[in-house]
Amino acid sequence: MTTQQLRPIVSVFPIKGKVKTIKQVPLPSVFSAPIRPDVVRFVHTNMAKNNRQAHAVSTTAGEQTSATSWGTGRAVARIPRVKGSGTGRSGQAAFGNMCRGGRMYAPKKVWRKWHRKINTNQKRYAVCSAIAATAVTPLVMSRGHRVNKLPELPLVVSDQLQSLTKTRQAVKFLKFIGAYRDVEKVIRTKKTRVGQGKYRNRRHVLRKGPMVVYARNLGIKKAFRNIPGVETASVYTLNLLKLAPGSQMGRFIIWTESAFKLLEDIYGSWEKPSKFKSGFYLPRPVMVNTDVERIIKSDQVQTVLRNRRPRSRKYGKKIQRADPYEDMSVMVKLNPYYKTKLQKQKELEEKNKKERKEIVDKSRKEYEDWLYFSEEEEEEEEEEEEEGSDEDREIEVLSDEN
Amino acid sequence: MSKQVPETIKKQSKRSFNSKEVKKEKNEKRMKLLKEIQTKAFKRAEKYEKEYLEQEQKLVELKQKALKEGSFYREPEPKLAFIIRIRGIVGVPPKPRKILQLLRLRRIYSGVFIRLNKSSLRMLHFIDPYVTWGYPDVETVRALIYKRGHARVNHQRKIIDSNEMIYDKLQKYDIVCMEDLVHEIFTVGKNFKHANSFLWAFKLKPPVGGFSTVKKSFVNKGEHGNREQYINTLVKKMI
Repeated sequence: MTTQQLRPIVSVFPIKGKVKTIKQVPLPSVFSAPIRPDVVRFVHTNMAKNNRQAHAVSTTAGEQTSATSWGTGRAVARIPRVKGSGTGRSGQAAFGNMCRGGRMYAPKKVWRKWHRKINTNQKRYAVCSAIAATAVTPLVMSRGHRVNKLPELPLVVSDQLQSLTKTRQAVKFLKFIGAYRDVEKVIRTKKTRVGQGKYRNRRHVLRKGPMVVYARNLGIKKAFRNIPGVETASVYTLNLLKLAPGSQMGRFIIWTESAFKLLEDIYGSWEKPSKFKSGFYLPRPVMVNTDVERIIKSDQVQTVLRNRRPRSRKYGKKIQRADPYEDMSVMVKLNPYYKTKLQKQKELEEKNKKERKEIVDKSRKEYEDWLYFSEEEEEEEEEEEEEGSDEDREIEVLSDEN
Repeated sequence: MSKQVPETIKKQSKRSFNSKEVKKEKNEKRMKLLKEIQTKAFKRAEKYEKEYLEQEQKLVELKQKALKEGSFYREPEPKLAFIIRIRGIVGVPPKPRKILQLLRLRRIYSGVFIRLNKSSLRMLHFIDPYVTWGYPDVETVRALIYKRGHARVNHQRKIIDSNEMIYDKLQKYDIVCMEDLVHEIFTVGKNFKHANSFLWAFKLKPPVGGFSTVKKSFVNKGEHGNREQYINTLVKKMI
């Protein structure tokens, strides 16, 4: 990875005296390997099966009878029953997994597959991930290690550590560097094992403390051997089961300077293969830059995106609109002419009404006039004629009724 | 202490489609457009009122003229029909079922406008027992579109609550407001197809006062089939 050519620097601390940087070393490329908890989990679960011892149930267990079924017609279940008489056992059921003293269902066999093969590359991937995780303080803390007082993570210490021979010296060193809190935790939480392991020579359970990784054993192994929780390991043979106990990444590791430097050779980088694992390069991450939000918001991406489509909020939501025939404001919004229309209708109505009224009045007046004049005529006619015709009278009667 | 604004947010606000100025400009444009639409709507509504009145009067004139001459005036055959489905989904044979689907009459008491021509009349013939149809007048068309008019927008059924909605979809057919839509439907204009497909099928209520019997045709004192101008009274009961 070209971005990793500039490698950050890690301080090397002395093993006594003052906690200050005596030297600075570049961070090996392993620590930038992708941290893949899924790979580590897979490899760990399979690797953990590899130190199992075979166990099984006796092949003859439950089969050491000559029991035969009594068959039907004897008012008993058809399970094979022990032959003979004179003992309580006779007539008892045998052979079945449901029977008392019978063989179990699917008796366990020794030829069960106890061990698992794991692809070498997967194993190496997991180890690289686990090592990378030991440099990530949040991961180490979340694993439960007490690393607050440490000067730095990853913690690299001068090679003098490898020459320690006495446990007292080792403890003094741990206290000096601030790692003893983790050891104290281990001591404090030593408990009797829950379960039957306690009387099977696995009486106590301990937490995991710091792990000291060295390049050459000049006494360091024995020095740290008796300190509860502390493990030592050679940098050439780092074990995933120790780097990520319980497939939980982030073991607290104390590196010696030469061990730390050797990591670059043992695990290689993306450009240079490992010197010890033939053809092995560090695993490449799927994404180099995992800050997706930042990528999306970067100028390079944003300038190329098309404009956001306008959200039609104007009629995007479900709008309950009133009935325009009941709510005038809604009607006017849809048809601005509506009010004018009503007005015109009203005017027209009134105009028509007026006209009609005029016509009616006029005709009524005409009729009344005609009546009046016809009455006068009749009177004149009556004066002229002695007899008024019946018809005229009839008309008069009618008109009176009207 | 001044608030620290993250760099990304600063950059975002600089980009064109998010800035305040652009939003303001857009809003102003929109307001202007709305005003234009409303003025157009007013003028066109006025025009159409006159047009409908003239049509009526013309019809009356021609009839009277014919009467005077002692001949007959044959009214133009109706161009527009409103169909209402009055039978449910159960037990419909495949051909009528397909035709009802094509006409968007997928549920009971749904209604659609349809242009009457030889082909559509033949379709109606097949679905007569399942629908009632007739020739709506202006007020019926208006009432349907105003009160129960929903538009098909983005494959969704949305109530028409402004002329802007109509403008956005039908502007290219010169239909910009409700009255335009009503006019296009009622007079079965050039863009009837687009105006009609803009409208979702009308969902009407069961009629106030009920039906007599849907099993018989309207002609036989039932309800289904062609009921010509009586569709108007029915729609009033169902709207």
